[in-house]
Amino acid sequence: MTAFQIPFGPQHPALEEPINFMFEVEEERVVNVTPRLGYIHRGIEKIGEGRTYLQNVYLAERICGICSFAHALCYTQAVEELLGVNIPERAKFIRTIMAEMERIQNHYLWLGFAAKEMGFETLFMYAWRDRETMLGVLEMISGKRVNYGMSTVGGVRRDITDTMKKDVEAKLNYLEKRAEYYRKVCTREQTVLERTVGVGILRPRDALNLCAVGPTLRASGIRRDVRADERYAAYGEAPFKVITYKNCDVASRIYVRIDEIFESIKIIRYALKNLPDGPFRVRAPPRVPEGEAVSIVEAPRGEDLHYVKSDGSEKPARWKVRAPTLANLPSLCKMLAGVNIADIPVVIAGIDPCIACAERVVLVDTKTRGRQVWTGEDLWRYANEWYRSR
Amino acid sequence: MILLEILLFPGFLFLFSLAFFTEWLDRKLVARLQNRYGPLHVGPKGILQPFADFVKLLSKEDITPARADRAPFVAMPILTLALAMTPLFCIPIDSLSALVSFEGDLIVVMFIMSLIALLVFIGAWVSTNRFGTIGGIRAGLQMFGYEVPLNIVMIGPAIAAGSLSVSGVVEWQSQNIWLILTQPLGFAILSLCLLAHLQRVPFDIPEAESEIVAGWLVEFSGRKLALLRLASNFELVLAASLMISLYLGGPTGLWHLSPFTYFIKLIICVFILSNLRALFARYRVDQLLSGTWKYLTPLALLQISMLKLLTW
Repeated sequence: MTAFQIPFGPQHPALEEPINFMFEVEEERVVNVTPRLGYIHRGIEKIGEGRTYLQNVYLAERICGICSFAHALCYTQAVEELLGVNIPERAKFIRTIMAEMERIQNHYLWLGFAAKEMGFETLFMYAWRDRETMLGVLEMISGKRVNYGMSTVGGVRRDITDTMKKDVEAKLNYLEKRAEYYRKVCTREQTVLERTVGVGILRPRDALNLCAVGPTLRASGIRRDVRADERYAAYGEAPFKVITYKNCDVASRIYVRIDEIFESIKIIRYALKNLPDGPFRVRAPPRVPEGEAVSIVEAPRGEDLHYVKSDGSEKPARWKVRAPTLANLPSLCKMLAGVNIADIPVVIAGIDPCIACAERVVLVDTKTRGRQVWTGEDLWRYANEWYRSR
Repeated sequence: MILLEILLFPGFLFLFSLAFFTEWLDRKLVARLQNRYGPLHVGPKGILQPFADFVKLLSKEDITPARADRAPFVAMPILTLALAMTPLFCIPIDSLSALVSFEGDLIVVMFIMSLIALLVFIGAWVSTNRFGTIGGIRAGLQMFGYEVPLNIVMIGPAIAAGSLSVSGVVEWQSQNIWLILTQPLGFAILSLCLLAHLQRVPFDIPEAESEIVAGWLVEFSGRKLALLRLASNFELVLAASLMISLYLGGPTGLWHLSPFTYFIKLIICVFILSNLRALFARYRVDQLLSGTWKYLTPLALLQISMLKLLTW
């Protein structure tokens, strides 16, 4: 039987993200997969070069709707390194709390997303209902449900007060109870196990070779977490475990994330209890001295990397973002080869994809191996020519 | 009089209202189980929402794909609706005998239910959509899985009652005992197989939204989709009615014989089906096939043989 081609995306009910996968299937089995990116390139890095360092904090926050704080944090850390600013301890703790809260809401969101992909609507509804609790907490602290606008160059913009702490504690207890319930559902419910155990295998060796990051990597049994390895913000003080599972399948990815919710709750509790007194922000000069800096942060989806190069002016000369999804795409293609058609959505969901964060335009000449980054105008011209020639 | 019965009660008008009511009940129940509101705005508690959806779909643009095989593609929804309604006339609702009843109408009901599954496959195939084709193949495969145990457990009550007519089984139950009490296993298998027949979670494999968009339904739009959705409502009514008639004593039992008894039982059966729907994730088609052949079919056979032993 000849292979049958099935397009998956860029518009597909299972995948809100605009990416296209062309699957070659034989009967119900995938034999080959070709991913195609480029439907939602936004040129954020280029826009950033035309704005000041402070304006870019808000731009960085809008790279991703879900890991917005991780991007903002990563960018501000890079700029602070360039400036040589030491931020107050209280700001570090508040940043840690915000980052972990974001991780909790992301993991709840992801759990619902994965449940929907395996056709478990009830779990989807429940998980998203409980996610609202965390969004409520984030709104109480920052004033917004997503894109919090908390991290800024030199600290954070808002404080966490004692009245907030009490409220947060109650919500954390609720979320912990719910997470325990979901762990029970995902380890015992037969239909969930049938759909996830042994599906979308990524061997540890492949995971390392293909540079997987975040929960995807940890579900392949490799202990690697920026929070533990690089210890930014207040992670050096708060005790937590790096969760790993050894089964390398979608089920392990679910368990890693659910267990991380518990660890995050532990970190938040510790940070709230030991929140140091003092200011939460220092003034930073607008002009950044010449140099370059790299900052890494463990976003909910994995390792997020920002590189900022300064030429001494108030605008960055180059800003480069490597979002976790981009790092996970090669391993995703590895996982997808050989799966059943029915398992495609849940395997894709397994890496928690966020395609909009990952879109870049780099032209590589395969003959000379030369590469070149296009400007907005180049892209514009290319697009016009391409359409005219059709 | 007979014309009135066919047109009003328990004929067309009643069945149509029943179909819309069952859809509302099902949606509302599942929504409440999933911590949502469900239909809310049209009519009291949203009870008219399914009807509003139906009218809205009728007014939508109706597209036939250029590559589709036109005649069967257009005929398929109409045939499906007609076939989904027909067996309901064999179900006793307000008296011990149905509008249409003859010795052997149970076989006709089974035959028509298989035809519907076949029509799904044909509809998907002639739509020539890639997702549709996969959905249609899955529908066919799924049929191979659930059809055998389903038919076996539908024959079980007939053996006990000594009649191959739905009305006959109901009459026997009204004089003796509800068959769910003597064949509980059969009732459980019937509920599961009917879920597969209705293509509902955990067996909504042929239309699996997150995998293959809408499966075999993907190219049907406007009037055709409206008819197909109505047909699936009728199938839900039929499924619940079969559970009632074959295992729960039909319109008899709670009070003396009345359509209200049937109605209350219908609500209970829809609740069972909806509750199951809210409980599970979707199976894969290979898991469904191995499950039905490994467990459901032997269990159904066991039920039948136990029945023979008991009567002997």
